[in-house]
Amino acid sequence: MGGRRARRRAANGRQPNLPPPSPPPRALPAHFRLCARSTSGAEPESARARGAGAERGERREGESAAAGMGEFKVHRVRFFNYVPSGIRCVAYNNQSNRLAVSRTDGTVEVYNLSANYFQEKFFPGHESRATEALCWAEGQRLFSAGLNGEIMEYDLQALNIKYAVDAFGGPIWSMAASPSGSQLLVGCEDGSVKLFQITPDKIQFERNFDRQKSRILSLSWHPSGTHIAAGSIDYISVFDVKSGSAVHKMIVDRQYMGVSKRKCIVWGVAFLSDGTVISVDSAGKVQFWDSATGTLVKSHLIANADVQSIAVAEQEDSFVVGTAEGTVFHFQLVPVTSNSSEKQWVRTKPFQHHTHDVRTVAHSPTALISGGTDTHLVIRPLMEKVEVKNYDAALRKITFPHRRLISCSKKRQLLLFQFAHHLELWRLGSTVATGKNGDTLPLSKNADHLLHLKTKGPENIICSCISPCGSWIAYSTVSRFFLYRLNYEHDNISLKRVSKMPPFLRSALQILFSEDSTKLFVASNQGALHIVQLSGGSFKHLHAFQPQSGTVEAMCLLAVSSDGNWLAASGTSAGVHVYNVKQLKLHCTVPAYNFPVTAMAIAPNTNNLVIAHSDQQVFEYSIPDKQYTDWSRTVQKQGFHHLWLQRDTPITHISFHPKRPMHILLHDAYMFCIIDKSLPLPNDKTLLYNPFPPTNESDVVRRRTAHAFKISKIYKPLLFMDLLDERTLVAVERPLDDIIAQLPPPIKKKKFGT
Amino acid sequence: MVQLRPRASRAPASAEAMVDEGQPASEEEEAEHGLLLGQPSSGAAAEPLEEDEEGDDEFDDEAPEELTFASAQAEAREEERRVRETVTAPSRPACPSLYTILEKLTTASQTNVKKSPGKVKEGNDSKKVKVQKAQSVSQNKSYLAVRLKDQDLRDSRQQAAQAFIHNSLYGPGTNRTTVNKFLSLANKRLPVKKAAVQFLNNAWGIQKKQNAKRFKRRWMVRKMKTKK
Repeated sequence: MGGRRARRRAANGRQPNLPPPSPPPRALPAHFRLCARSTSGAEPESARARGAGAERGERREGESAAAGMGEFKVHRVRFFNYVPSGIRCVAYNNQSNRLAVSRTDGTVEVYNLSANYFQEKFFPGHESRATEALCWAEGQRLFSAGLNGEIMEYDLQALNIKYAVDAFGGPIWSMAASPSGSQLLVGCEDGSVKLFQITPDKIQFERNFDRQKSRILSLSWHPSGTHIAAGSIDYISVFDVKSGSAVHKMIVDRQYMGVSKRKCIVWGVAFLSDGTVISVDSAGKVQFWDSATGTLVKSHLIANADVQSIAVAEQEDSFVVGTAEGTVFHFQLVPVTSNSSEKQWVRTKPFQHHTHDVRTVAHSPTALISGGTDTHLVIRPLMEKVEVKNYDAALRKITFPHRRLISCSKKRQLLLFQFAHHLELWRLGSTVATGKNGDTLPLSKNADHLLHLKTKGPENIICSCISPCGSWIAYSTVSRFFLYRLNYEHDNISLKRVSKMPPFLRSALQILFSEDSTKLFVASNQGALHIVQLSGGSFKHLHAFQPQSGTVEAMCLLAVSSDGNWLAASGTSAGVHVYNVKQLKLHCTVPAYNFPVTAMAIAPNTNNLVIAHSDQQVFEYSIPDKQYTDWSRTVQKQGFHHLWLQRDTPITHISFHPKRPMHILLHDAYMFCIIDKSLPLPNDKTLLYNPFPPTNESDVVRRRTAHAFKISKIYKPLLFMDLLDERTLVAVERPLDDIIAQLPPPIKKKKFGT
Repeated sequence: MVQLRPRASRAPASAEAMVDEGQPASEEEEAEHGLLLGQPSSGAAAEPLEEDEEGDDEFDDEAPEELTFASAQAEAREEERRVRETVTAPSRPACPSLYTILEKLTTASQTNVKKSPGKVKEGNDSKKVKVQKAQSVSQNKSYLAVRLKDQDLRDSRQQAAQAFIHNSLYGPGTNRTTVNKFLSLANKRLPVKKAAVQFLNNAWGIQKKQNAKRFKRRWMVRKMKTKK
């Protein structure tokens, strides 16, 4: 019994492969110290144990921001060992203002920079696909090439990989699209540079250029498309595109004015329209070459470690380079004296937003984009290019995922964690103690690691879900769909896989179970929505809603009502569709909004659909009435508080209180909020974040400052927050230090005195 | 002024390298490719080839003909032009380039695998390709392109490439440090020095701790028994 890959876990609470111990929090917050002093001997042990980083869940009683919200016991979970993969390449598309990001596990994500930097689409990774280059071509086509020797095109509408073409040159190290966008150049391991023609539905091999001695690690086209520069190991070649022969071979010094045994790897080249070739290499140099004569013009030594990436702006008056120490340098073309016409390249700004190697940079018209091994995507708008100096010009650092990786079974208090290649099922601990606000309660029963489910095959898991009753687990990869039935006997758990899944269910973008766990809703990447009936140990395909008209704007999100009548699906440009599940037809469509949906949920009794968008707008739409609710209209008329709209991270989960229909609970990465629809809305002058005011304040003051948005920033960074029952919350946190502790080694920085 | 001879093109070597996976059986095919791809842009590099052949033939009999440079060059150019015309014009449709052959081989092998009955595991498609014969379409059927087991070759190349990257970024000679030391730098420079970020090593002595726990449990049980 049980799947071959599932391992049952005893009540130990330890994870199977123990990651390096997470560091203790730098400074214990005030309420922890308080409770360590005030409670009994058992108490400090649990507080300290948390401090030392043991993976235990702890109950903690906390009160939401103001009186009247009620008291909750909070399960504070830190045993979700989520480590994102490092960023390997970024590619910026000017026409649509979108950024494609490829990570080391093969995932490619597409961010919409105009929609508040929201990740709208992603293509799941693959173990054997080691992407090394990413580029956009004409007509919004996205190509990637990697060490498996294949060039892949991504279909941004169908959200799958259109095709993969083998270049027959060994592992591919670099790829560049021509300035016209109709040709693709690929640099391979065997030293050959191959030219491909981009046809409307595929790419076609055109010819090879002269083969070089060592692998071609970087490529750049001249803006006119007549020449290319290729960086290799210890030299840079300039090719003439028409003849395919190497015009110049420029030897790169291994060390700046010195001798070194290590080969100099030219990590990046850029070709400017005046014939200058800029190269960055592993010795820490940025060099300017003249391609007409093949000679070195200028050499800058900017780092003690490799300079790994370069990106030039379209106007060619500035470029950005990223180093292995995590520093990003901005170079600008500046006049020599204030009224001379002669210009020179000057290193103007250093930015230190990364701790590890910056493997890739991009230059948009107004911002510098960088990403690297420390998994952050940093977008730094340039102040001189930004027209309106408001909050839009602030630094954006995207660290946490913009979608939910955790699902929860409320009845059995289970959490399902989704990783790239496995799923983990944990049961929350329990406590019998009680306390007052701010106490940390000792656990009588530890959190239990019930299941470690490995996926078969090299593909990453796209999405996963556990049913509310806890008896079904479903997850999907690109080629397969898996459904498991769980049986609980006393303290044991057994797993049984449902075999013979229909082929149309694979490559699901979103999976959702109905509240009573009898129906399974699957949104496939072809746009269709499938309803599957589950009964006992078997399933039956009930219905498939075909894709509606409209282009795919973002990944599909699903929401189902608790009575099982209504199903909402987002993701297309037509708006959010609401389907009647009992009658199996489309009920209505919420009017389209120009920002993608980040979270959706349907309220239990009123059947109001609450939608959160990436620009931090929240709408409430009444499904039975087919119109926005009065409260929503009031909010829209007044507008949200300016601090609410300036939040960086999108709302990823919305839930409701079963007994209080006026409350909406939502959270993003750095706060969670309970919206009380019965209280007045804040205007721009009131304090948005007002934690529980001291009791000695007069009632008048308290009434004046009380408003509908009760925000708490106690638990952060939050990956997931939900209401388990009327008096219990669960908060899954992921401290940044725990992620950093598991990253690859950074470059050594020598500091005086250490 | 010295006119430097342009470098001899290395393209013929690339044709052989691509032929690792599929080997065209006929020699004339190879020779045609060599000639096709190896055409240098000017006639100057072609000269030595032609002259050498002529020289070998006439070496035994008598002293070689005295030719002026210009006439020899003109002859060589004409020869080259003739050869190019005869080779390129008719043979292009009949002799597809190496790239298209390789493409046909890969698609043929993929369709063969798909046709195989039963549920083939998707992830292991190419691994199951042992020897796939693909008859390439050619007007005179002069060659047979055979694809041998190549997934291992591809994997080994990919691994070699990843080893190269790993060595160049994290190998010897790079100045790397551990994450613990990196994050603890700040702690060491404070006016009141603090401990390192990962001061506790919870993975130390796991076996000892487990033994101790087991022993304690057994001792308790024994103690309870003797007390009774």
